[in-house]
Amino acid sequence: MDQEAVQLEKRHVHDVYESTAPYFNDLQSKAWPRVRQFLQEQKPGSLIADIGCGTGKYLKVNSQVYTLGCDYCGPLVEIARSRGCEVMVCDNLHLPFRDQGLDAIISIGVIHHFSTKQRRIRAIKEMARVLVPGGQLMIYVWAMEQKNRHFEKQDVLVPWNRALCSRLFSDSSQPGRKKPCAHPERSHPYPPPCSVCSCSVCFKEQCHSKRSHSMDCEPLMAGTCCAAISKDGEEENGFYNTLGKSFRSWFFSRSLDESTLRKQTERVRPLKNTEGWANNTICIQPSRHSSLDLGHHEPFSTREQYLDEDVFVETSQKQLEWPRAPATMKHLHEDQQGEVRRNGDGNFLEGANASENCVNAGDVEGGHPSASKILRRISALDSTDSNPEETISVEEQQPNILDSRAFMRYYHVFREGELYGLLKEHVAELHVLSSGNDHGNWCIIAEKKDNWD
Amino acid sequence: MKLLTHNLLSSHVRGVGPRGFPLRLQATEVRINPVEFNPDFVARMIPKLHLVEVPKGPIEGYEHDEKFLRQMHHVLLEVDVLEGTLQCPESGRLFPISRGIPNMLLSDEETET
Repeated sequence: MDQEAVQLEKRHVHDVYESTAPYFNDLQSKAWPRVRQFLQEQKPGSLIADIGCGTGKYLKVNSQVYTLGCDYCGPLVEIARSRGCEVMVCDNLHLPFRDQGLDAIISIGVIHHFSTKQRRIRAIKEMARVLVPGGQLMIYVWAMEQKNRHFEKQDVLVPWNRALCSRLFSDSSQPGRKKPCAHPERSHPYPPPCSVCSCSVCFKEQCHSKRSHSMDCEPLMAGTCCAAISKDGEEENGFYNTLGKSFRSWFFSRSLDESTLRKQTERVRPLKNTEGWANNTICIQPSRHSSLDLGHHEPFSTREQYLDEDVFVETSQKQLEWPRAPATMKHLHEDQQGEVRRNGDGNFLEGANASENCVNAGDVEGGHPSASKILRRISALDSTDSNPEETISVEEQQPNILDSRAFMRYYHVFREGELYGLLKEHVAELHVLSSGNDHGNWCIIAEKKDNWD
Repeated sequence: MKLLTHNLLSSHVRGVGPRGFPLRLQATEVRINPVEFNPDFVARMIPKLHLVEVPKGPIEGYEHDEKFLRQMHHVLLEVDVLEGTLQCPESGRLFPISRGIPNMLLSDEETET
């Protein structure tokens, strides 16, 4: 099962950060106050590591200590280095430090990128290994419980709307700027697990590379096609508001831990088509503002996510239109693509007859290609969003959507108490000093026990 | 990569364990970066170092020996290896340093499962 985990993390963590690293604008992100405080409280002369440092926003918080930044993502590390930070590329699961070499470690928005419980535990244990007795570890992970949204499941794929961005920009008075640019999703009203970005719209920070790198959530686009928007503050806000409201849907990934469990229970279901994708079932989280949430009477969480079962029931009136899970694009059959085009044609705002299907990926064990249906939700843009100029025809959007497949990031969002439980039950060498919630993250500070090694 | 960082690094090739330290450093390009001298910082750092071969160990009272502290400051913090390699003394595995960044990623075969 670890191999699937490695593949999932490669596709939906490492590759995404590598591709989007150039677009992180570190000026936009601020350090989380509590993390800053933790760093500033360390004794002068301390040796500290930021495991999953991203572009290094925490590396210069305290000039009296020596802080090393580590990240799995080379491009992000290069950015940190260019800012004068001491950094290296490494893997959270195999830290290149001798035992008990460090006085403190921070892991901000990193271990939620590990796709199995075992790997999350290994990451924590590895950090504990390199701590001196009495040394402290601070961990931040994205919380499942949020004020502004409700996660139905814990394993989620968060997309970046690169395609939408490029299309919108070419719609504005920027003729000829049609090339898609890698473009991190602007902060949503429901902040993505943005490990590094502490801007007011995004909360939280980091993830990371489990080597986890922190995720510098960069609302600003660096792509040329976005340049025009960035200059115009008014327009930018409107643009991003639209982005956020239109594309609030996030994908859910089946937990690899669950998949293993299912394997053991020998569930056999009739499967229709053969499709394979990342061995995960993709389900879409309804966004908070969509009517789907309000009008939907079937709580998703009560439906078991079998491979070939519809995830969503058809809803009346407005529904969410998602330009098809990018990752599945390459597996689509011709007729299915035709269907999308047909429905996309001028029907962006109209969703009365849309039905929803779920695209299921192959089962983790690899032996059972899942049924493949197309998951489509028709997006109801509410009144403030309804602006034909800003909408995007799905048909014209197709090529860009295909390109954006690479930018979905995997997160395992943590329930209250889950992180604490992980340490308590599986990492006996650490003693939890404090835990709490900070801006939608569960955080913990733990200490390496004396006399352990 | 500063030499202080080098002192913390160890090889984690499977099976190597504590014999993976210290990594043999071969620098092909080095730069000297001036760093503000902070005697207290350097003095605190010295006991944390894993000094394998010290011809003459830190003499008693080293923390007040400014000349000594400045020398350590220079070596640990001002020498920056831009290009080179770090070699695991046990397995011989080479880790590259490019543009000042060491790459310590191991392949699947080299890590413990």
